[in-house]
Parts: sequence; C-alpha cells; structure tokens
Amino acid sequence: MKKGLIQATDWYERLVHWMLAISCLVLCFTGLGMMFKSFNFIANMMGGLVVTKYIHNFTGLFFGVALFLAIKMWWHEAGVFEMPEDMEWMNAAGGYLWHVDKVPAVGKYNPGQKMFFLAVAIFGAIMVVTGIVMWFPLRFPTELVRWLFVLHALGFAVIFPLFFVHLYMGTIGSPGSAPAMFTGWVTRAWLKKQHHKWLKEMERKGKLVVSGEEKKV
Amino acid sequence: MKYMELAKLIDTTKCTACRGCQIACKQWNEMPGLKTKQLGSYQNPPDLQWNTWTLIRFQEYVNKQGKFSWLFRKDGCMHCTDAACMKVCPSGALHHTEFGTVGIKSHLCIGCKECMAACPFDIPRYNDKTDKVYKCDLCVTRLREGQQPACVKSCITGAITIGGKETMIKKAYARAKELGGDANVYGDKFVGGTHVLYVLNEKPEVYDELPKYPTVPFSIVLWKDVLKPFSLLAAGGVLAGSFLHYIIHGPKTPDEDTATKKGGGE
Amino acid sequence: MEITRRGFLTLTGAVGSGITLSSLGINLIPTKAYAEELNKMNRIKIAKQTTTICCYCSCGCGLICSVDKQTGKIFNIEGDAEHPINEGALCAKGSGFFQMTEANEHRLRKVLYRAPGGTKWEEKDWEWALPRMARLIKDTRDKNFIKTNAKGEVVNRCEAIGHYGSSNVDNEECWLITVMSRTLGLVYIDHQARVCHSPSVGALAESFGRGSMTNHYVDMKNADVILIMGSNMAENHPMGFRWVTKAKERGAKVIHVDPRYTRTSACSDYHVPLRSGTDIAFLGGMINYIIENKKYFNEWVLNYTHASFIAGKDYYFKDGLFSGYDAQKRKYNKDTWVFDKDGRGIPQRDMTLQHPRCVFRLMKEHYSRYTLDKVSSITGVSKENLLKVYEIYSSTGVPDKAGTECYALGWTQHTVGVENIRAMTIVQMLLGNVGIAGGGINAMRGEPNVQGSTDQAILYHILPGYMKQPSASLDTLEKYLTKYTPVSKDPQSANYYQNYPKFFISLLKSFFDDKATKENEFGYNWLPKIDDGKHYSTMHMFDKMYEGKIKGFFCIGADNAVSSPNTGKVRKGLEKLDWLIGENIFDNETYQFWRAPGVDPKKIKTEVFLLPASASMEKEGSISNSGRMVQWKQKACDGPDQCIPVGEITIKIMRAVKELYAKEGGVHAEPILNIYWDYLDRNDCYDALKVAKQMNGRFLKDTVIEDKSKGTKTEFKKGQCVPGFGNLQADGSTCSGNWVHCGSFTADGFNNMAKRGKDDPTGLGLYPNWSWVWPVNRRILYNRASCDVNGKPWDPKRNILEWKGDKWVGDVPDGPWPPMADKEKGKYPFIMQRDGLGAFFGPGMADGPFPEHYEPLEGPLAKNPMSGQLINPAIEIFSSDLDKVARASEEFPYVCTTYSCTEHWCSGALTRWQSWLLEAQPEQYIEIADVLAKEKGIKNGQRVKVSSVRGTVTAVAMVTQRLKPFTIEGKTVHQVGMPFNYGWLFPKNTKDDSANFLTPTVGDANTFCPEYKAFMVNVTKL
Repeated sequence: MKKGLIQATDWYERLVHWMLAISCLVLCFTGLGMMFKSFNFIANMMGGLVVTKYIHNFTGLFFGVALFLAIKMWWHEAGVFEMPEDMEWMNAAGGYLWHVDKVPAVGKYNPGQKMFFLAVAIFGAIMVVTGIVMWFPLRFPTELVRWLFVLHALGFAVIFPLFFVHLYMGTIGSPGSAPAMFTGWVTRAWLKKQHHKWLKEMERKGKLVVSGEEKKV
Repeated sequence: MKYMELAKLIDTTKCTACRGCQIACKQWNEMPGLKTKQLGSYQNPPDLQWNTWTLIRFQEYVNKQGKFSWLFRKDGCMHCTDAACMKVCPSGALHHTEFGTVGIKSHLCIGCKECMAACPFDIPRYNDKTDKVYKCDLCVTRLREGQQPACVKSCITGAITIGGKETMIKKAYARAKELGGDANVYGDKFVGGTHVLYVLNEKPEVYDELPKYPTVPFSIVLWKDVLKPFSLLAAGGVLAGSFLHYIIHGPKTPDEDTATKKGGGE
Repeated sequence: MEITRRGFLTLTGAVGSGITLSSLGINLIPTKAYAEELNKMNRIKIAKQTTTICCYCSCGCGLICSVDKQTGKIFNIEGDAEHPINEGALCAKGSGFFQMTEANEHRLRKVLYRAPGGTKWEEKDWEWALPRMARLIKDTRDKNFIKTNAKGEVVNRCEAIGHYGSSNVDNEECWLITVMSRTLGLVYIDHQARVCHSPSVGALAESFGRGSMTNHYVDMKNADVILIMGSNMAENHPMGFRWVTKAKERGAKVIHVDPRYTRTSACSDYHVPLRSGTDIAFLGGMINYIIENKKYFNEWVLNYTHASFIAGKDYYFKDGLFSGYDAQKRKYNKDTWVFDKDGRGIPQRDMTLQHPRCVFRLMKEHYSRYTLDKVSSITGVSKENLLKVYEIYSSTGVPDKAGTECYALGWTQHTVGVENIRAMTIVQMLLGNVGIAGGGINAMRGEPNVQGSTDQAILYHILPGYMKQPSASLDTLEKYLTKYTPVSKDPQSANYYQNYPKFFISLLKSFFDDKATKENEFGYNWLPKIDDGKHYSTMHMFDKMYEGKIKGFFCIGADNAVSSPNTGKVRKGLEKLDWLIGENIFDNETYQFWRAPGVDPKKIKTEVFLLPASASMEKEGSISNSGRMVQWKQKACDGPDQCIPVGEITIKIMRAVKELYAKEGGVHAEPILNIYWDYLDRNDCYDALKVAKQMNGRFLKDTVIEDKSKGTKTEFKKGQCVPGFGNLQADGSTCSGNWVHCGSFTADGFNNMAKRGKDDPTGLGLYPNWSWVWPVNRRILYNRASCDVNGKPWDPKRNILEWKGDKWVGDVPDGPWPPMADKEKGKYPFIMQRDGLGAFFGPGMADGPFPEHYEPLEGPLAKNPMSGQLINPAIEIFSSDLDKVARASEEFPYVCTTYSCTEHWCSGALTRWQSWLLEAQPEQYIEIADVLAKEKGIKNGQRVKVSSVRGTVTAVAMVTQRLKPFTIEGKTVHQVGMPFNYGWLFPKNTKDDSANFLTPTVGDANTFCPEYKAFMVNVTKL
C-alpha cells in the first residue's frame, strides 16, 4: 500500500456494506426476473423461475439482517442531519450539478449520502416487511396484501434508480471514492475535497490512521 | 385464422345442486377428494381448494317479502377479459387462450401466490405440497377437441351451457327477462366482460362470496400499470442522467496539490 | 351458437373430424403445438371405448369407459352423449364412477375369510373357499331340512339358511341367484326391493295389472302438471329431474309435497310441507275434491275403470275397519269384498253410477270424510296449500292435459305404503291420466337393477315373471295353476294372465330342462313351499335370525347392518350365525359385524367369507331401469386380481354343492341334481349371454306356431330363441326363465337389449329402437287408454298410439286387439287385470279395498282423527324384546324420517369408500328446524345425540329454515330427518353409525316394506 493513505472504513463497515450491496443487487435482479415476463430470461439464467423465487426470498432475509446491522452501524452518522450546514449543502446540490464557488465542508457523509442512506433504510425495511408478507400472503387479509404489493413495487421504484446514482457517485462520478469501500484506504486529497470536515475532525481527535505511520499512543 | 370467443353460462335458477359438475371436474382433472367435516351445510368442501376447482355454494335466503328460497351457485373462475391474475403472474402461467378463457400452465407456475391476492373473485387456490396454484381452466384441452367442458357435459338440467360469447349473452338476457323480478345477468359488464356468466334470481349482493362490482383491484393497477413502468423509466433516467452528468458537468475530482501534503501529527 | 353435447366419446370412433369442428367455428389447432397438454385427450382418442349403465339410482344413465389398450385398465369414465335418458349428463355419483374401478385402493381383490373367534381377515383363494362353502351349505341344509310342516303338508324347504341381495347385480346374475336359492329349498329369500318398492308392485298390480312404473323418465317432459310427492327427485333421481326441467321449459307446473324443503323444492314451483306418514289423508282430500267438484274425466272413468261395478251387499266400512276383520289375527276375511255378478258370471255394472253400492258411490262416500279441515289437521298442511295443489293437479282431468306423479320411498316406506300408492292410482284414474304420454304413475325405483331383481324375483313370495311362490296347501301343479290362473267370462276382457300355465311351465323347464317332464309335474314339487298365510320377508328373516333359528346367511351386494330397520336387532342376529357368505366390491359393516363397536370378536363363532366381486363395468350383462328398459352393458375390463362376477360365483358355488350331492347323496337332492346349470364358457368363465337367452326362452324342440287371427304359421327350430311370450307353450316344448323377458332376443339370437337406435318418430321420447323394454318393447303401459273407445287419441298432440283402419300405429299397443268399441274382437285396455279394467276398489289388499289414513306404528298422536283405528289394523307386529315402540311419548316427541342424499347411495357401502363423494357429504347429519334448535340450545355444526326407544346414534346438527313445525290436531309437532348413508366401518375414526338403530321392525301390511319414514325420536346435546 502506498504510504500516506488514510483509512476511511474498517473491515466491519466494508463487510456490512457489501453484505447489503450484494444482497440488494441479487434481490433487484431476481426481482426483475420475476416482475417482467420479458425479463424472465434473467431467472432462466439462474436455473428457472422457481429457483429464482427461492433465491429472492432467502436473500431477502439475509438482506434484512444486513440492513439491520447497517442501520445500527451508520444511523448516528448517516441518518442524522446537521443543520444548517446540511441545508446549505443541499441548496448548492453539493456542487455536483452546477458550479459552486464554495461548497460547505462535509463531514463523514454528505447530505446526498445521508438521503440515500435514509432511503435505503426506510424503503429497505419496507421491502423486507412487505416481502415477508408476500412470501406468506395466505396468512394476511387480501386487501392488505394487495397494498403491500404496491409498497414493494414502490420500494423498488425508489431503490433501484437511487442505486444507479450511488453507483455513479461511488465510481466515475467521484473519482477516488471507490477505494473507500474496497481497500478502505483513501488519499488525503480525496478526503480533503470530499469530506474536509471529517478529515479535520479525525486529525483533531487523533483518530487519523495513516498508512506507513505508527499509531501514536 | 379465426378463433371463437366462448362463454359458459350458469343459469342458477335451473341448478339442482346435484354436484355432478363438482365431481365431474375432479374426475376429468384427476384431482383427489380430501377429508372434510360436516359443518352444518351441504356445502363441502366449505370453500374452493387446490383440488376443488368448482364448488356449489348453498345459501338459505329469505327475501324482503318473507319468501324463502335455497340459493345454489356454482363458484369457480370467471375467466375475465381484464384478468387481474394474469396481470400479476410473473411467469405467464396464467394466460388467455384462443377462446378468451384464462388458462393455467401448471409447469410454469412458481407458487408466488400473487394471483390469489389479485383475483377480485378470490378463486385461485394453493397446494403447499406441489407449491403451485390451481383453478378452473374451462377444460381447454376438451374445447380444442370440440368437446364440452366436463361440468357442462355433466349438468343434468342444462343449467350450465357453453357457446359463442354473443349467443350466450343473448340467451342469458332472454332468460333473465323470462324470470322477471330481480333476475339479472352477472358477468358481462365488468372486468372487460367475463367468459363465465350467471343468470341470478336475486341481486348479486344477496349471494355469498359474490362481489357486487368486481374490478381489477386499484392497487394491482397501480402496481402493474404505474409503478412497474415507472421504476424502469426512473432507473433508465438515472443511467442516462449519470452519463449526461459525466460528459457535461464532469466528475468531482480531488485537487492534485493537496495529495502531497503530509498528514498526521499537526 | 351453442355447443351441444358431442358424441365424441362414442363407439363410432368418429373423432375430431374436420367437418364437425369447423362447423363450430373453431379452428383446428395443430395438435403438436399443445402435445404436452393433451395427454388425457390423446389417450382417449386411441382408447378402447365400451358402454355401461350407471349402477346407482335406476334412471339407467349411459356411460362410456375409456380403456387403455396397453394396460387394459379404465382411465376415464364419463357420460354417453347418445343415450336418450341422460344425453351425456351425470349426477355426482355417476360423475364419480371412476372411483368404483380398481383405481380405488379399497376395492376387494382377494377372497377373505374370518375364522370363528377371529379378529381379522385372512387372505385365501377360490380353490380353498368354494369347497368349504359348499360343505357348509350342504351340512346346514341337510341338518335343518323340513320335508313336511306341522300340518303334515309336504314343503321341502330349508329355513335355516337366509339369502339377501341383490338389486345391484345384473339380471342374469339375479336369475341365477333365484334359481340357486329355490333349488336349495330356501324360503327366506329377499333383497333390497323389499325395503324399497315392494309396495309399488302390490299397489300398481292391484290397480292396473302390472306392478311397475307405467311410463318412463323421458316421458315426464310431456306432462302439464308434475306432482312430486313421496320423492325427493332432484336429489335421489337426478336424471329423472332432467325431464321434469324439460317439462317446466314447456310451461308445466311442478309441485313438491314433502316434509322437508329440499333441492327438489328449490327447483319446483310450489313446495308444500306435510307431516311424514299422512299422505293418504292428503290424497284422500284430493279424491274428495275431484269427485265433489266433478273434475274427473267421466268418459274415461266409465269405460276404462270398474267404477260402475257393484260391490256385494255385505261389504261395509265403519270407523276405520272394513267388513270381515278379525282383531285377534289382525287379518281380514275378504269374502265380502266381492262384486255382484250376472248370470254369465260377469260383474254387474251401473253405467249411471247411481247405484248406492257401485264402486264410484262407495268411493265417493269413503272420501267424503276427508274434508279440508280434517286433512289440514292431520297433515299439518294449510287449507290454502291443500286447495292450491288440488286445483292445479285436478286441472289435468281433461283430454288435452296430462298430469303425472313421481314417487319413491317417501310413499313406500310406511306401514300404509301400498295404500299410499293405491290412493294415487285412484286420483290418476279419476283424471284419466293413465296410459297417456306425460301421465301415469312414475314409481322411481332406487337401485340400478331393482326392477330387474324384482322381475327375477329374489323375493320369497314370487318366482321370476311375477309367478306366485307355491304355498303348502297347493300340493299339485294342477291345484296351483287353477288357483293362480284367473278366469274371466267377459269376452271383452283380454285377461292375459289366463296364459299363466304357459309362463309357469316354461319357467320350470328353464330350471330343470329335460329333467322336468309332464310325469313329474315339471319338477313342481321339487321347489320349496311356504306355509299359507306366513311370510318370510327381510324383517321376518332377521327376527328368526335374532332367535338363533337361521344358521347360514348369504349377503350379496348389500349391507343389512346399516340398511335394515332396527339395526341393533339385526346385528345381534348376525352374531348368532354359523356362517355368512358375502359378495361385494368393498368391505362393509355387515361383513365385519364381528368387530363392530361393542362386540368382542372372540365370542363370535361365525365363519365369514367375503368374496371379491367384479364391479358393474367389469362384466357383461343387462340391467333394468325403473322404466322397464333392459339395457345391455359391455365389459370394459376384468375385475382386479381374484374378482369375478357374482354370476360366476353363484354358478361355481352351486356347482360345488351339486358335486357334493352327486358324490354323497343327501336330503331332497333331486332339485339340486336335476338343475340345468350350463352357464360357463369354454374357459370356465361366466357367460352372460347364455343366461340371458335362457331367461328369454328357447324352443326345446322344433315347433310350428300358428296364428289363427293372422292366418300364419311360423316354424322354429330347436334351440332358437322365443321371439315373444305369445309363443310360449304349456306342454313343455318351450323354456323361459322369465316370460316378461321373452322378446329380448329375436329368434335368430339378435340381442335387442343392446340396440342403440336414436330415432324418436313421435317426438314424445319413446325411442322405440333404443335398447329393449319389457313387455315386448312397449314403452308406455296401458297405452290403449290414451285413446277413446274407437281408438282415436284423446289428445292429438300426445299421439303415442292410434287405431288406423285395422291396426294400431305408434308404441307397441298394450294388447294387439282392436279398441273396445269393437264388441266382437275389441278388448278393454288393462289386459293384465282379470276384468280388463282399472281398479278403484282393491280386494287383493291386506289392509282394505280403499286406502284409509292410519297413523304410523310410532307417531305423535294417541288417537287417529279419522277413526277409532290408530294404526293399520292388518300390519304384523313383531314382539321380541328388541321390538319396542313409543307412541305419543313425551320422551320421543319429534317425528323423524330417514332418506338418502345425492352424493351417497343407500347404506353408503359403495359411496363412502369413494373420496370424491365422501368429501362432498362426509358425515351423518340431522336436519332440525331452526326454531327447535333454538329451543334446545343446539348450534349448527354441533354433534348431537339422536335417540328412539330402540337405540341411539350421534349426528351433526344441520340447523335449517327448510324445516318448519307443523300444527297437528292443535298442537305443535316438529319434524326432523337424517340420511341413513353412514356406518361405523368407514371412513376410519368416524363417529357415525347407522340411523337404523332408531327405526322399528314393522312394515307395510301387504309387502312388509319397513316404515323407515315415520317414527319418533328425541334430539339432545351431547
């Protein structure tokens, strides 16, 4: 590893993220395979629709566990808005959509990320709950089940597009971000650009971990 | 190639509730008889089941004038034109046949049970051993050979008949007119017109388990006709938007000069 | 356009022809596109297809079995679209026919044996069982044979062996059973007809001359008014109701008179509830109404009935009793029930109907007592409803209207069963409704071949073809023939039974062939004789069995432990047997009586053989539906494993017995050694056609028959079939196992019973070329009464017969003679009656020449509102310790009736083993009025206790608005009802047992049909 890289995430954060992400992707694609007859080919690639159904259902449980861990882990950091800075950032669209001279400094997670987290947390939970009901629809009143279909579809309609935003922003949309979730080590430059406030906080608290340097006692 | 759209007409006023149809259906479709209990009614099994695709419902009814009658209604799939079950079926197991009926290809059914919630008449039934859903398919294999469905053939009094849809609708209305009173035709006016029609002696709301104004549920319409297309559009929109953003606005890259700054210990 | 029933599954094999399909506007889809979905249809297209007839209610519906040519097994059974009665339709039981095949795991497949004291069945085989059974039969017979009775008369009978069954086997098998039991010397011979329609035979024969349904099912479509009383037709004769529906479509009115509002009531125009057991009161009121309001068809009554006959001066009726009653013996001396005769010996007549003792006036007087008030108070029917029914029904008393009555066990199963029916025959004759299309008395029989089994006489009191069973005092053939050959001096009375000797001697010849000669009175004295005035019906047999007097018992295709009355007594009787031989397709409560609830098998020493029989579609043969149609069934496949037809079992058992007698000798061995018994084929298997031809009759030598009236001479060769009973001889040159079957084959041996002609020239549903109807293919009996005295139809729109010039055109005329206006050659229309006329006054009845209302043996009243006679004065009262009665009792205050439902049949011994039917009606229920249930705190669906003074069962309460309480003689009387289709053996873990624990051992005064339909119970929470 290059010297001078700073640790952004520890192994647990990455593990939970990928548990969540992979299961979410599996759910989206198995779901797509079942949702549209024209996408049945996706299901067929996985061994048929019945297999797809089982994969979807059990992955959903796994997703539920991962989601719980993710929410538990990230809630106080990514689920809480700090005013008025977060509002200012949102008014500037974080500088992503038009040129802004000075974007307010961002902590560990910017409001965009916070909104994504909230969306996944809320709609993800909705997907799990509605998914379980859809797995055992005979045990619930019919009218309730029908509306839960709607919510489940709505959840997908929200999460799936937002996933692409997240994918863009985590890769080519923000060069330097990807390592945060793969190796866990990012460049100082990237930190300073994207999460200046967090960098300063870590420095102030003495929590900064830099590769190639001994940890100070 | 010209296909004929068929309709099965059930004239409940001629039904003697002999259950010939209920059992002929089992005989033809090789469905078993399962253990039941006497619950104080001739109606048995008490409801449609995965192995009981048609059921005679018995209902004791006293009208406003105090006249008693024992109403019999042969329940089963209505074979809707706007079939909610077909709308939700992920695999295409539920499909329209060339006769306008709703067929069910068991080998494609994955047992998701969405059709059970969607159906406004509460018809499909699930078998947890085979993990599939079952319902009347109007004996499509018999129809293709020019044969009457098993229930139609077995009907002793001719209460169940089948023919071209327009012919049967005319026949139904003529019969309702002949009966007079509250007699009415049920089925042709909703869900795009069903391929199973009833002549009822009383208003539809009198009958057990018969919805007065059945429709494809609004929730299903919202799900399938609104949210589903929207989700793909939104995803597609985001992808397109991301591409446009990249080429127009460009990504947010870290500043080069800060990369060399030494960190820590300040 | 409407898709009508297709003849796809017919024998022609004309399958899926392009012409027929495209005429429906349906395009032919290339089959390969749907190959994977067409499995069953594809299999049917290449299958072997055979026809059969339904083995349940007696409508005689046609079915087609599809047999897989590779496996030889049936895989589909559905209706025969070409059959004129059902046209492809089937009720629940018929639709479920497939579950009678070997596909049903419960089918008996092996010979089973239960050793004395044994706790379970052991599997054996035929080789083991046949000699063992023959041994038991011979030993029991020889040990208990009675050569002379107490009076010293030669009787040659064995009372220690009883036989019951079956109305569920083919005609040929029934005939073999009759021959076997007679030659063995049995007298306790009976079967389901006894408990079903035995009263019909008695009543209809008395009124019209023959004891069977006068019209037929399809004919009902021709009626203007249909009275369904004594029947729950839509449930128990569903296909009959098809034709009622067709009548309704033509504008007919349908009236259902029944204690319960049933599925029949739901489809009728009117439901009129009446208390069970009060039908004579109801009909008496109708007769009164018809006479008082002059609704009768005067010309018909005058010419075709004996209304004008004058009764003897010593005849009277007073306070419920007719002249000649002996209260000690509970019997009538009928010497006063006669007609005045003129010098020629012909009954005197008063055509003005004014003579005070003419039948018409006597009848008018008798029924004037049945006022609306009286009738309403007895029956619980409102006066309004009474008048409504009387008005509507009597509107058919005009030439251009037809009224028909459909009844079944609701009328027969009473102590006044015969008289219930007689009352309706009076109504129908007053209205001129007999012999016409859409009229008549439709006695709807209950089993698939009970008409046949009655014709073949598996009954103690008759021999095949309604010949009379010889009684002990008739010790010579001559005495016997003299007694039973009626003599009429009236040249216009055809009196067809004057040919009795021809029928009887041909019958004897069919039993013994060339061993029966003039010298030995054709074997007359080889047959057993019953004692004069004594009876050997089912109830008598079980009474004797309970006393321990019956050692051996054949129970074939039946389940007495569930279906016989007072089943507690019946089961105790079975426990005393030395041996029981059962033949059936499923096991049942009778065959396993030794481990019934509360029985210790170790204490029961009975040897039980349960022989696996082939089911109805697994054998060839004929069965007769209620409309006398004798339909030939094809064999679809063999029965599974060791199963063989009952006919074959009968032949082989008798053969084994005969061999023993040949080897060892024995008591009164002649009939057994001399029996003609060649009915197996080269492979030692049952040959139904051989038996059928014997029943039809054969010429035993070359014969020339001369017809003087036509001036013809026809030659017949030895061995040829007799083509009609007019050719039978009294000199021993012909044999005929049953003269009414004569004509079922042509002289060349063509089987008329298998014909499938679909033409119906009159459009009235006669179908003259479909199958064969007895007698001589005559579809409507007494049809000459559908024309006036000149032979012109009363109603040109219902022309079934017309005299044109010099012959009758239409249906086979009931008697080829010219109409009675021809004083020289013409005959009266009721040719089987001695006097040639319909009879209002019936002196042949044991309980009176006119029907009179008596209360059931066990009823709610202590006094009969009509007279001082509470119960039928001529019924036999059984008096064992298990024959208790509780009349007008507070402990048992509800009138109960028992019945069947569409989904089950009789004892349920066939239908309870079929999962489709059992699913639809799984457990015994008792129908209780909602007001009564509320009173007793009983909830719908709750199991309750039902008890009578004789026994107790449980059932699930079905609380319903379809039953309402009656007001009888000022007090409220509740009616309840339950099916008798359930028993303890199956389904496993059932809480049910037979409703017949509740019923009494008592029956009709003439024919001993048990009173299952009116007795008293209590219903309480468990």
